[in-house]
Amino acid sequence: MKKVGTEARTGEWAARWADFKYTIFLMRKNPLVMLGSIIAIFFIALSLLATFIVDPNLATPRGYGGSYPFERSYVWSEGHIINWGPGIALYDGPEFFYLGTDRWGRDLLAMIILAIPVDMENAVIIVVGASIFGTLLGALAGYIGGVLDEAILRITDIFLAFPALVLALVFAAMLGRSIPTLRLALLLVWWPPYVRLMRGQILSEKGKTYVEALRALGAGHLRVLFRHIIPNSIYPILVQATLDFGGVILTFSALMFLGFSPTPSLPELGNLAAVGYGHMFDAPWLIIFPGLTMLLIALAFNLVGDGLRDVLDPRLRR
Amino acid sequence: MKEKELILEVKDLKLDFRTYRGMVKALNGVYLNLYKGEVLGLVGESGCGKSVTALTIINLLPENAEILGGQILLNGENLLEKSKNEIRNIRAKEIASVFQDPMTFLNPVLTIGTQLRETFMLNTDSLKQAVTAQRPKGKAITYLDFLSLKKQSSNKPHKSNKVPRGEVKKMAKTLCLDVLRIVRLPDPERILRQYPFELSGGMRQRCMIAMALARKPSIFIADEITTAVDVTIQAQILQLMRELRDVIEASTLMITHDLSVAAEIADRVAVMYGGNTVEVASTREIFRNPLHPYTQMLMKAIPNIAKPVKKLASIPGIVPDLIDPPPGCRFHLRCPYVMPVCQGEFPTIKEVKEDHEVACYLY
Amino acid sequence: MKDLLVVKDLKTWFPIKSGIIQRTTGYVKAVDGISFNVCRGETFGLVGESGSGKTTAARSILRLIEPIAGEVYFEGASVTKAKRRELRKLRRRIQIIFQDPYASLDPRQTVNSMLMETMKIHGVAASRSEAQGRAIELLYTVGLSEEHLYRFPHEFSGGQRQRVAVARVLAVNPEFIMLDEPTSFLDVSVQAKVLNLLKELQNKLNLTYMFISHNLAVVHHMSNRVGVMYLGKIVELADKDAVYHLPKHPYTFHLMAAIPLPDPEAQKKDVLLMGDVPSPVDIPPGCRFHPRCPYVTDRCKKEEPPLYEEKGHFVACHYDIDFESGEVKSER
Repeated sequence: MKKVGTEARTGEWAARWADFKYTIFLMRKNPLVMLGSIIAIFFIALSLLATFIVDPNLATPRGYGGSYPFERSYVWSEGHIINWGPGIALYDGPEFFYLGTDRWGRDLLAMIILAIPVDMENAVIIVVGASIFGTLLGALAGYIGGVLDEAILRITDIFLAFPALVLALVFAAMLGRSIPTLRLALLLVWWPPYVRLMRGQILSEKGKTYVEALRALGAGHLRVLFRHIIPNSIYPILVQATLDFGGVILTFSALMFLGFSPTPSLPELGNLAAVGYGHMFDAPWLIIFPGLTMLLIALAFNLVGDGLRDVLDPRLRR
Repeated sequence: MKEKELILEVKDLKLDFRTYRGMVKALNGVYLNLYKGEVLGLVGESGCGKSVTALTIINLLPENAEILGGQILLNGENLLEKSKNEIRNIRAKEIASVFQDPMTFLNPVLTIGTQLRETFMLNTDSLKQAVTAQRPKGKAITYLDFLSLKKQSSNKPHKSNKVPRGEVKKMAKTLCLDVLRIVRLPDPERILRQYPFELSGGMRQRCMIAMALARKPSIFIADEITTAVDVTIQAQILQLMRELRDVIEASTLMITHDLSVAAEIADRVAVMYGGNTVEVASTREIFRNPLHPYTQMLMKAIPNIAKPVKKLASIPGIVPDLIDPPPGCRFHLRCPYVMPVCQGEFPTIKEVKEDHEVACYLY
Repeated sequence: MKDLLVVKDLKTWFPIKSGIIQRTTGYVKAVDGISFNVCRGETFGLVGESGSGKTTAARSILRLIEPIAGEVYFEGASVTKAKRRELRKLRRRIQIIFQDPYASLDPRQTVNSMLMETMKIHGVAASRSEAQGRAIELLYTVGLSEEHLYRFPHEFSGGQRQRVAVARVLAVNPEFIMLDEPTSFLDVSVQAKVLNLLKELQNKLNLTYMFISHNLAVVHHMSNRVGVMYLGKIVELADKDAVYHLPKHPYTFHLMAAIPLPDPEAQKKDVLLMGDVPSPVDIPPGCRFHPRCPYVTDRCKKEEPPLYEEKGHFVACHYDIDFESGEVKSER
């Protein structure tokens, strides 16, 4: 027996913890992945603490007495009208704005920080929803096979035939312009790749000897599928989900950019970029910084996803 | 006693692998002597380092391997001191290796003919020579003639540049057919047109041997080539190896974990354990009179249909962990004759009887 | 001796589908009608080369692959016709150990989890703590120890993994264990230990084994009676020494002659079976072995020999041949 780890483990969790530590070790070996992870963790922390860090008032329009503060609760309520009047591009006030302001004197940094949680929340909801739904369908298709498999595959193919953005636009147009409907639209676009992915994994795991051994031991189909095959197939799903994180943020922002935002003052990176687009030449920072933030988030998660893919490949481990 | 010419000599080869859990001390001083025209059986269980030794000889080690010392002398020249290019040349021209799984060795998208021809074309000089040699005679050159050509080439500078490419290719094809016949593949014309997946395991194995022959090697390294095949096919391949040895005089390093295979085909046997050579002798001698405790116990652990037993002798303990190997003789923890001195230095291998070397403090 | 396992004319065919609509154009007749009995307490060896169908036969008997014809009875109860619930109960009594210790264990499960799960499936233990105790007991039975409980398969060597597989199988107190090449992937010294363990367990727990392997020496060591399979059929079946030393079928004779002996001075038999191991897609007419048989006659090419019996020694060959002299003694 190997010397390392010869101490008798105290239990199941001790065993899994040791396994986890090995994964972390492997991740540490790749500097890009570490960079990506740090950035990703940074953004996650930011999104959790956003409302505490930033004084929402900083993001309120100046010059109009601050009557319409830039708060999330404001956005969700219906029927508010913003008075767009002639604006000022720069605010020359006592506070120092790190990233500048927009035409209504709202601090860009504050707005970005407030926008990050919105994007992250979107991404989490959409990715988790799509992956769970897609994975389950894929698992059923792969394991049961036959007519069910064919049916699910065909439906998935139909969805996959369209480019993601186009499909999202269609759904958005159909379903309407509120945040929940937009999320639904993206969810509907995002689940098909998971079906394919999971199905492929299931098909290859299904033929493996340990599955045969389990059936020979008397395990029923449900047990084999949910307790053995799916946990062993989950790794590429994890990788794909992480990669999709960035993808969802970008696509959502694209939707906002294209004009599907429910209100112009929704704190969302794409929305900010859309608004900033109009002032590209006199106030370029309004589009650069939100864009940069989106890029950073997507990049961070991409790096992590890539790293995960290398690390979790069972052939390269151990 | 025929004077035997030493072709390949491995002296005190030490090698480590860098891994997550530490340095794996894979080779701890390997000694091997391969004489011209003989089959040396390299026997040992998994983890003993036999495959690693072979890979070191042909320099196909993975990235995390570190050679710590020793020499590999091919015709007197130390391979470890050569550059990558030189080694690649040597690999192409002098040493041919055949591995266990022919399916992973052969290119699945090329026909056998293409691959075989390519291998012959590696030796364009010799091919050109063959064409020039054939011209005056008019009759076809066989593979055996092709082999003997090599020995002359090192002396004369070649004026063979005038040989047109078409003729070279034709010569290659002729030789392909001939070498397939030598490995006893039926219907060589058809085989040339087939892809690896269309052939059976035994046939693929023979194609691999054919490809190895195409390089006119002076040394053959066969790594577990009979492990994955059925008994009857294994018998055929062993018969083929015997014929080749007699006809081509290739020196073969036959690596196997199956002592019976070694008994069938090897002239001499070297037993390895835990990264060391522990015993070397002629096949007869080693089976009749094994000296090293490991060899003795290994022989008793094999079921023999001629001499059935109720319970197989097993070796107590487990294979040593090479990251933290036992000090001194790596077998001492499992050895029934262990003595205090065994924990000290590793016993150097020395000749105890005529032509019988052992690495053990018992002698 | 009572018959524990009875196999009657078992057939497993795999359809070959081709064409756009995937019509069934032919069958791979992996197992094409085998019959034999295994008595309680004995070890029945099944040998054959690749393509012989022995692995498929093992799985068909356990219904891991569904046979298309034939019957299998386990202590009188039909296995082939059993419904799901009965099959599950039968699975407790008939178990299987697979060839590849690296693949037969779920890589994400600890040993403990495997053992507990097996016991849970069949309701063997009354409580969790009882199951836990039994798990530890099982580990000791197979020569491992408590410290191995919470490890993952990849932390074990091949021999240890096979032991874990054995422990898992023993968890439900089976009566019959199918051993499908259990030591093929193991080193010689490890193999010796595992084989010794298997024999010991057989004596202690009164187990019945069916031992399948292409390693003829190992089968000889472990079995009482041996059956030889070729292209989906049993061509010879008898006591092990009869099969190995006095074979009656030409294939068996050549098979045994090809076994390398660990004795360089042993008499080299000058027989070599030419040709390749055939594939069950293209089965020759008449006797399946006739294309490779040195004693082939016209009758062999047309008429498939049934399994003739001669005093407990079954052989599927039309002729009685003396292999030493090469002379055909009589015709059946």
